Amino acid sequence: MLKLDKKSARSDIWLYLHFPLLPLETLLPKIQVEQAQKPIAIMSLQKNIQRVLCCNAQAEAWGVEANLSISTALALCPELEVLPRQIDQEQQLLQQLALVAYSFSPVVILNDTNVWLEISGCQQLFKGYDQLLQELANRLCSQSVTVVNGIGQNPTAARLLCKSEFETQLPNQAEIRHRLLNTEIRFLKSNRKQQQSFKQLGLNTLGDLLALPRSALSRRFDSELMLTIAQLNNEKPFIAPYFHPANTFHDLIQNPQGIFNKESLLFPMKMLLQRLCQYLMARQCHCREVEWCFEPLIGGSQTMQIQLSSSQNNWSTLLMLSRLQLERLELPRSIEKVILSADQFIEAPMGTFNLDLFDNQKNAQQSHELIDSLNARLGINALSQPILNQDYLPEQASTLVAPGKHSSTVPGEQVKTSQPLWLLSAPAPVQMRNQQLYWRQPLSIISGPERLCGNWWQSEQQRDYYIASDSKGARYWLFRETSSQRWFVHGLFS
Amino acid sequence: MSNNIATVLSRQDTWRGRSQRLPRRAITTGHNSLDLLLHGGWPISALTELMPQQFGIGELSLLLPTLKYYADNNQLCVWLDPPHQPYAPRLASANIALDKLLVVRSKNYIEWLWAAEQSIRSGALLLAWTKQPSSRYADLRKLQLAAADSGNAAFLFSTPSALSAPSPATMRLELRSLKVNQLLLTVRKQRGVAGGARLELSLGETNTQRTDLALLPADRHRTYPIQQLNN
Repeated sequence: MLKLDKKSARSDIWLYLHFPLLPLETLLPKIQVEQAQKPIAIMSLQKNIQRVLCCNAQAEAWGVEANLSISTALALCPELEVLPRQIDQEQQLLQQLALVAYSFSPVVILNDTNVWLEISGCQQLFKGYDQLLQELANRLCSQSVTVVNGIGQNPTAARLLCKSEFETQLPNQAEIRHRLLNTEIRFLKSNRKQQQSFKQLGLNTLGDLLALPRSALSRRFDSELMLTIAQLNNEKPFIAPYFHPANTFHDLIQNPQGIFNKESLLFPMKMLLQRLCQYLMARQCHCREVEWCFEPLIGGSQTMQIQLSSSQNNWSTLLMLSRLQLERLELPRSIEKVILSADQFIEAPMGTFNLDLFDNQKNAQQSHELIDSLNARLGINALSQPILNQDYLPEQASTLVAPGKHSSTVPGEQVKTSQPLWLLSAPAPVQMRNQQLYWRQPLSIISGPERLCGNWWQSEQQRDYYIASDSKGARYWLFRETSSQRWFVHGLFS
Repeated sequence: MSNNIATVLSRQDTWRGRSQRLPRRAITTGHNSLDLLLHGGWPISALTELMPQQFGIGELSLLLPTLKYYADNNQLCVWLDPPHQPYAPRLASANIALDKLLVVRSKNYIEWLWAAEQSIRSGALLLAWTKQPSSRYADLRKLQLAAADSGNAAFLFSTPSALSAPSPATMRLELRSLKVNQLLLTVRKQRGVAGGARLELSLGETNTQRTDLALLPADRHRTYPIQQLNN
């Protein structure tokens, strides 16, 4: 009984993540270090007036603050560097932050500027909420963004309770409720007219508003505010689509100064691969192929594909392979953008326990790694595997294909006649000298012939195969084309 | 310090005066007489150099049982720069899993050496053919050390002209053909044993059966005279 009570008493815990300096922090990695030390403000157009959206600490020291018009800000601080807002890049960063949140909880809501996540189901995994919050704060900080949070029983309340810092101690239910009721009413999303009504009614805190009878309120205020009140009381759900990682991965790092050597490319590549692995982990899948694109400021870009013979979600392996392949690549002189994309994923195998007594898995793993690294260093055309085809003509019965394209081996039928181990890439014509076959040295026939017919549907081939040897004892596989009566060497016994 | 000595002693290429021959692991060659000659079989954790007088005398069929052993063990068999294309039906009839064979073509000597070392260190069986008349001693020593570290067998095919140069390989075998299917193996170098041992090895019966042309399926390119058919 007690347990049931406890369970029903457990309510949602919503975390509201706000990134106050997101427009600025989106642009920071792209500007030079010296420039970043100067006062910077990000501007955006609001009601046809260019206003400061956010600014750095140096600008704040001059008295610049959000919502000032640009002319006022420049009057306050003449050295102010004003940068336009980059909404696309901001959204990209926000997606990345949502991905971090997604690795903590499957219930994530993303709107234009903020992220919510519901953490009540994730306590066990992180051994307590405080650890979870601490870990989340660390992970978000490592993305070099400023983050503040609010904790509430529903998304609306969490937003209202947003603080000016990141809180890593989870308050208890009563505390949350207490804070909510004591929140000043001016923080509630409302218009000027409604704010005036609050003042006239003598309402100072949310508690005052929520204490009023609902019917009386609905007569005074519009349905939107009533919905907000219902949501604050957990009476109506907060309806928003949950965040899910995108179906394909595409990310880039820009460096306006340009990257001039391959060694310095490795750092952005490593960062991108780490982001890819974060994405793979969130989606619980592995990738089989990634593509790099190196874009110079002027001229065509250079792409590089990394193919894996087995699926991977390990960034260090991917980096090692990319590095090997990069060595062979002719790059443009200066690279401005490094782009990583991946669109072929397979579900990650469940569990990674190795129950094989003889460790056959390890051998297979090693083989895959070897194929990948040979592939990366020598190129895809350097590797091949022999395969067996159901065909009569030897050159078609045995072909070389790229590794990994191997279908299941055709059951090896026992051949009666002896066959060579080497096949010449093309049959070599044999000369006749003094009534004797001659290819590099005189040959004499030991056994044969065996007649092979093939390709009757196109150019008919009929060959009589013989085994011949030279004076030293090496054996050759010869054939005589019956149509032209010419002799060829087709293989070597070895 | 004692740890360092232990490391040195555990290496295959450390010669100790007391012991005539270090106990070493080997895999059977599949031929009893050859196993006897090689004191157990092909040495593993070692580089073996095979020097056939020319290609085509049966040097590769000596290694078929070893290839099968590795492929059955789910290990990759890397053929580095083979002189010709391996013929799949013959390998399949020896019950070698074809998807365990990997043919690698290198563009230059640096790539060749890198691929060889990488393969040995990744637990694959290496069969390498050199393009140059003789590889450098230091490079081959690299491969020998890689084999010693990884515990894998590695085979290098070179020409008998390489015999004049020293080699760090654990074993060097010269292969000559006496007649068809008869190999003469000469051990040129073997650790712990004086070289020079010889063995005549038969690779199986030579099929000398000639088929009468008349018994073959009809020749599509020949018009048979009608009278002959009437007879």
